[in-house]
Amino acid sequence: MTQDAQEAVGDYRYGFHDPESSTIRFDKGLSEQVVRDISELKNEPEWMTEIRVKAYNHFVEREMPTWGNCDSLEGINFENITYFLRSSDKTEKDWDDVPEDIKRTFDRLGIPDAEQKWLGGVTAQYESEAVYHSIREDLEEQGVIFLDMDTGLKEYPELVKKYFGTVIPHSDNKFSALNTAVWSGGSFIYVPKGIHVEMPVQAYFRINAKNMGQFERTLIIADEGSSLHYVEGCTAPTYSTDSLHSAVVELIAMEGAKIRYSTVQNWSANVYNLVTKRGVAHKNATVEWVDGNIGSKLTMKYPSVLLKGEGAHAEIISVAYAGTGQHQDAGAKVHHLAPNTTSNILSKSISKGGGRSSYRGMLQVTPKANGCRSKVVCDALMLDEESRSDTYPTMEIGNSTADLEHEASVSKVSGDQLFYLMSRGHSEEEAMGLIVNGFFEPFTRELPMEYAVELNRLLELEMEGSIG
Amino acid sequence: MTSYLDASLPTRSEHLWRYTPWSRVHPTKVDELPAVGELVIESDDVEIKAISKKGIEHGQDIARIFLDNVIGNTHVLTPENKINHVHVKAGGHAVAAHIHIESKQPSSVVFHLTGEAEWVGLWLTGSIHPNSQLSVGLINELSSESVLVRTDNWRIERDGEFELATLSLGGQRIKSDIRTILSGSNSTHNQFIAVHGHGTRHDDHHIEIHHKQPHTNSKLTVNAACDDRSHSVGTGALTIDDDAQHTDAGQIFRNLLLSESARAEAIPELEVMANEVAAAHGAASAPIDAMQMHYLMSRGLSKEEATSMLVEGFLVDSFVEVRSDSVREAMQTRLTVHLECQLIG
Repeated sequence: MTQDAQEAVGDYRYGFHDPESSTIRFDKGLSEQVVRDISELKNEPEWMTEIRVKAYNHFVEREMPTWGNCDSLEGINFENITYFLRSSDKTEKDWDDVPEDIKRTFDRLGIPDAEQKWLGGVTAQYESEAVYHSIREDLEEQGVIFLDMDTGLKEYPELVKKYFGTVIPHSDNKFSALNTAVWSGGSFIYVPKGIHVEMPVQAYFRINAKNMGQFERTLIIADEGSSLHYVEGCTAPTYSTDSLHSAVVELIAMEGAKIRYSTVQNWSANVYNLVTKRGVAHKNATVEWVDGNIGSKLTMKYPSVLLKGEGAHAEIISVAYAGTGQHQDAGAKVHHLAPNTTSNILSKSISKGGGRSSYRGMLQVTPKANGCRSKVVCDALMLDEESRSDTYPTMEIGNSTADLEHEASVSKVSGDQLFYLMSRGHSEEEAMGLIVNGFFEPFTRELPMEYAVELNRLLELEMEGSIG
Repeated sequence: MTSYLDASLPTRSEHLWRYTPWSRVHPTKVDELPAVGELVIESDDVEIKAISKKGIEHGQDIARIFLDNVIGNTHVLTPENKINHVHVKAGGHAVAAHIHIESKQPSSVVFHLTGEAEWVGLWLTGSIHPNSQLSVGLINELSSESVLVRTDNWRIERDGEFELATLSLGGQRIKSDIRTILSGSNSTHNQFIAVHGHGTRHDDHHIEIHHKQPHTNSKLTVNAACDDRSHSVGTGALTIDDDAQHTDAGQIFRNLLLSESARAEAIPELEVMANEVAAAHGAASAPIDAMQMHYLMSRGLSKEEATSMLVEGFLVDSFVEVRSDSVREAMQTRLTVHLECQLIG
């Protein structure tokens, strides 16, 4: 690593990167031709090319979103981004076949360790396409489809065509249009009727090339009475120029199905993380988002659930950690569209070193949605005088039988708690770390064990130097 | 003075105008600056001086720019009595006024806003001087066809205390934008709002409270009971500057929905830039508690009487913490009379 790069990386734990080894890399900037070229290179069906082009035209015409910290989006230069880069010629089936330098990156991320018997499978997205994919045989036998999105489109075009863009159409917002135009990679999962995937399935995403946009597209369908827990983790090398991550994740939970989507994101401090995530819950179905945001320059992410069928349920748990120069603009949206639907939202955030964390939420009850219940709780912890914490909740109630609650509080670390821990021999820094870990505990207990451990380690790392 | 005709009009993407677009509360067409008459302001308790309006800080807010353009005089009150009743009467097509209060000693002012005017503009401003205490009540009993645009700007100096109670009962469409700055250390602000939505009433309250200095306290309570096809909007913006350490601030929005067609929006926003603070907000929305209805009806009350009693209890509760007895009693009395007329007939 050069000295400049080292300076840029600083003490960021996962701030390493391997020399780029891409075999196909497009010029910077976006045009209709680039969109068509991406589609042609992937040998996609005509209908997908047309969707991409339509989305591109919408992207060009669409204004920046007005929901969120929109002023900060001015820093994105769409002409300075590479929209497609292929790092390996073909999707590998066996870990031994993965190129050495790529494997080394994953080694440092702990992927081989993560792929243990209690995990369902691994799709590791390296730059734009999956380079490694495996799935446990028992899942295959059950008829569960777990592929990277590109392969999913090739092997199950009818299934993809039926559901692609039905939850998040390209016209949803500027960044969903951009993603639809240039998407590459991501996961495609279909769980057949009545199948319960007992182990969490997992995918890692990384940005490796400088100014490399990452536009993965994930589509998960849980058919009637099935269940799935999907886990996504992100770490990225640090660079001195800005990167853009703009993913789209669509979840469809059919009648009686349950999907839990867990994320721990640790983007480096120069990444714009602008993600559109939305799930649809049909009758008696459950969609759960468990969302952890650490790192990035600006995160704008509001996992949403459309409660479309009677008795559907949404659960959203999110934590955000905003360090120096970072703005975590995260939140949740739940739309109660059917009777007797319920939702719970728990948001926790920490601001430190001048960082800013915001909760931005939407809770909507439509006139036909009788008997809905919802509870929103936001807690914010401020660790120093320079930091900032905001809460922007919106409640739109169109039905008189709805029972909704929202509560939020902002506070600092309690002196009593610090004193208690320090009187038992902990340094102030250790005590602060323990309190912060405890503050996030309602979130970490919902994660698979290794993620919880990794998150705690990351928090400890972030807390270093927070005292004095 | 910024000319209204040169000002850029807000879009619905702007938070302030999302639920009540400016075009819906402008007296004519948004690109017009119509002639606007003056509200009649009378009081037996306090002298009201009409002076030529000086420039008022309006920022870039379109409602304030509009009022600044159509209002000619400022009516200045310097209350000296403990309780001062002021009658604000709205007649004619479109009327407006700017009322300014200079609070230099403990006092209370209750405004009674009545009349049949189609459009009413009311700009209230006030300075609460160091160590002064001011309690203001505003009872809106405009006719059911009126449109009201209300803008408030209050500033509280060191050790000042200011409480503001609003009882919103009248008018067809109401847009209130109430802004308070705690500009002196150890200042306190308590605000109470009760809204009764009936018919097709649309009542939008936007409340900004800005803590600029340390050791400042604020509390906001908004209770809205919405019946028939009414629509209530409550947006709060609570800002605590980085200098405002040791601030204690809270906001609560409660909505009681009484009919299937009623709607309510609550958006209590919080921006905190200091760490030695206690800041909290809450919002809740629910129908009338079936157990409470059952209890009252089992004791012989009709459904209408039981509903009226519960609504009254809910709205009266907004004002229980008003420290000025005269303001609290004025609010509660008018509310009781109004509900008896509305719900029982």
